[in-house]
Amino acid sequence: MAEIRTVRVMENILKTNDYVARRLREAWDQSRTYVVNLISAPGAGKTTLLETTLPVLMGRYRIGVLEGDIETERDADRIRALGVEAVQVTTGGTCHLEASMVEQAWRLMDTELDFLFIENVGNLVCPASFDLGEHLRVVLLSVSEGDDKPAKYPKAFRTAQVLVITKADLLEVMDFSVERARQGALEIQPELQVFVVSAKTGAGIPAWTQFLEQRRRQTFPEA
Amino acid sequence: MHELSIMQALVDAVEAIVQEHGAQRVVRLVVEVGEMSNVIPMYLRNAFLAFREVKPFLAQAELEIHFVPLRLQCEACGVEFQPQGYRYRCIECGATRVRVVQGEELLLRNVELEVESGNPGVQPFGSSAVREFSNSGIRG
Repeated sequence: MAEIRTVRVMENILKTNDYVARRLREAWDQSRTYVVNLISAPGAGKTTLLETTLPVLMGRYRIGVLEGDIETERDADRIRALGVEAVQVTTGGTCHLEASMVEQAWRLMDTELDFLFIENVGNLVCPASFDLGEHLRVVLLSVSEGDDKPAKYPKAFRTAQVLVITKADLLEVMDFSVERARQGALEIQPELQVFVVSAKTGAGIPAWTQFLEQRRRQTFPEA
Repeated sequence: MHELSIMQALVDAVEAIVQEHGAQRVVRLVVEVGEMSNVIPMYLRNAFLAFREVKPFLAQAELEIHFVPLRLQCEACGVEFQPQGYRYRCIECGATRVRVVQGEELLLRNVELEVESGNPGVQPFGSSAVREFSNSGIRG
């Protein structure tokens, strides 16, 4: 005789990911490692933003980078060329990073870090659903993508704390309104901090890096 | 295509429940998918069908998906509303600070198992995370 048994679960399907993310956040709080998760469409300039951000910070902080890509070590090589430790996570087709991938890769890093940057797989949909234990989620939007992106990919903008509009040097040739992009994003997430930067000219980079330092200080006040 | 990863997580969770209860097979899975969960129900269903072919305990299982529309509440005036498209501004007072009432869910609501009568199942440590809800009287 068999019976049908109903088991009430009511649990988040991604609870395993969330569990690992929580464990990571605790470990990073312990080691005072400020962790930034960069999310954007492919080609928005995540690696390029890091190439301009890291030289500003690297003299004073110990920095590491996790590079998420479907294939190749190219992005990690670009970071290593700056003299910053980088671990490439190749997902082999998976469209986002998950907390357990991050944990595995982070454990390969040699030193204790003050900043860990995680460059997610270029994708504005899937990465938004996966908590990596980060302190700060940054969404990038490049001028060449169009200012209506926030409305099309709301979850990425809703779950971020910072919006960085990149490739601002293209503003004069593109039909992109910073104000429209900002308003569209703020309508989805009113708490967003917005930066407008150009890695090419360096415009906006100081405000962005000062913000990162300030956020780290707020999270880990000096004892 | 992250629906495949999400289904993998779901199948893992269900497999643990099957073992805990010493069940023969799964009859039905009931999940809640919020409008803002970034999950497309049809893709989730396709991923489920793929897993059903390789996981014997799911061979005859059904997947029931409850879609949960997005509902917001204005933090300024308190009105609850369903946003039109992706404009989250309050429909009454125009304020932009809103709280999500529902629509971000990605939940395994319950699992129906076929269990040999009298089998209490293995109760691992800390199994209170999975609470037994009812023994329905259906017998086969």
